[in-house]
Amino acid sequence: MRRTPIVLTATVAGVAGVLAFHTSPTHLGTLPAASAPTDNPTVSNGTTGTGGSQNTTTGKGTKATSHKARPSASASATGTGTGTGTKTVNGPSVNYSFGVLSVAVTVNLSTRKIVKVGIASLEDDGSFRSEMIDQQAIPILEQEALQAQTANIQSVSGASFTSSGFQQSLQGALHTLGLA
Amino acid sequence: MGTVVTIDLYTTDGEAGARIAGQLTTARELLHQADAIFSTWHHDSPVSRLRRGEITAAQAPAEVSEVLAECAVAREASGGWFDPWAMPGGVDPTGYVKGWAAQRALRAFGAENLSGVIVNAAGDIACAGGLGQGKPFRIGITDPLAPRRLAAIVELTAAIATSGTYERGEHLIDPHTGRPAARVASASVTGPDLGLADALATALAVAGPDGLLRVEALDGYEALLIAHGGERLSTAGFPFAPDQP
Repeated sequence: MRRTPIVLTATVAGVAGVLAFHTSPTHLGTLPAASAPTDNPTVSNGTTGTGGSQNTTTGKGTKATSHKARPSASASATGTGTGTGTKTVNGPSVNYSFGVLSVAVTVNLSTRKIVKVGIASLEDDGSFRSEMIDQQAIPILEQEALQAQTANIQSVSGASFTSSGFQQSLQGALHTLGLA
Repeated sequence: MGTVVTIDLYTTDGEAGARIAGQLTTARELLHQADAIFSTWHHDSPVSRLRRGEITAAQAPAEVSEVLAECAVAREASGGWFDPWAMPGGVDPTGYVKGWAAQRALRAFGAENLSGVIVNAAGDIACAGGLGQGKPFRIGITDPLAPRRLAAIVELTAAIATSGTYERGEHLIDPHTGRPAARVASASVTGPDLGLADALATALAVAGPDGLLRVEALDGYEALLIAHGGERLSTAGFPFAPDQP
């Protein structure tokens, strides 16, 4: 089954929307179709997969959102660098309430799992409030992205402000990797 | 509002994109419209003018009266622990509007071609449907005390809001004193409507365990509190997923 990623971004008056379009069920190993459909005039990011093996996982594999879900494919524990290696992509720089951030995502190309999530760049206004929020929120978000894979969840309730910018950039990186 | 909204659409039809694009556009327009009306960051928004007393609620767009009426219901339901009229600087429905706007945006989507929709407004979530085949969405709740972990996973069929102080500092105001206060580290509320869930979560984070009985009494609403010391307290029907982190 083919999955069609569509990301729309818009920033107007401080409101941004990230819209992701999922076709399910999907298998994690199935890369997006080689040629992204272009019948939708609003497609701004329909990147195709980048390398990686055409992993035909069995099982349910109900792929969901970006980093927030992990298919139930067997994928024995990950570990970087063995065999086919890893690939790191930086997500787009995204404005959030207190600055601009970009997320870096590393995936294991053979297991198609995220092995590392970090901040590629971060600019805030330097205020105490910004720093406090960044220091608290970003480690949460990095870990959230990793944990969400294993918790098989579709979304997270609780964070505000930074989280959305983080998610937006992360989603962009995952699309580039052909994972979302 | 000045926030970011993520919309996730789940469908079994890979060709549905073009048909759904119009609904996405509608949802976006509704969110932008809500921001234009209710933002307290924009000096000239109707709500900013209302707060300064330059216009009355009746002179503002109809959405303002609608939201204020619902805020009054939420104030009543929360026993006064959620009170936009007690905020410093004049009436401030911000605590309600984010959830209200996300819930309204969700209604832009029809069931056709979609198994489920998630609208996540900076951590407050309105959803419909699920992953398909009767599988509900699973939503993680951030652990306010162990920031590298999820506190819980819920199976969500409608809405969840979480309030706390962990990411924004002491931003919650006790309406009884007008000063910042939070008797628990975080409060999550699930229920049919995200606007009310958002208001109740805010109220519970300020009120603490004393507010839990009020939520228990509301049809369809459930709550989970995480205390500053890590203790957890929930209503009987809180929709924990069978497996927890």
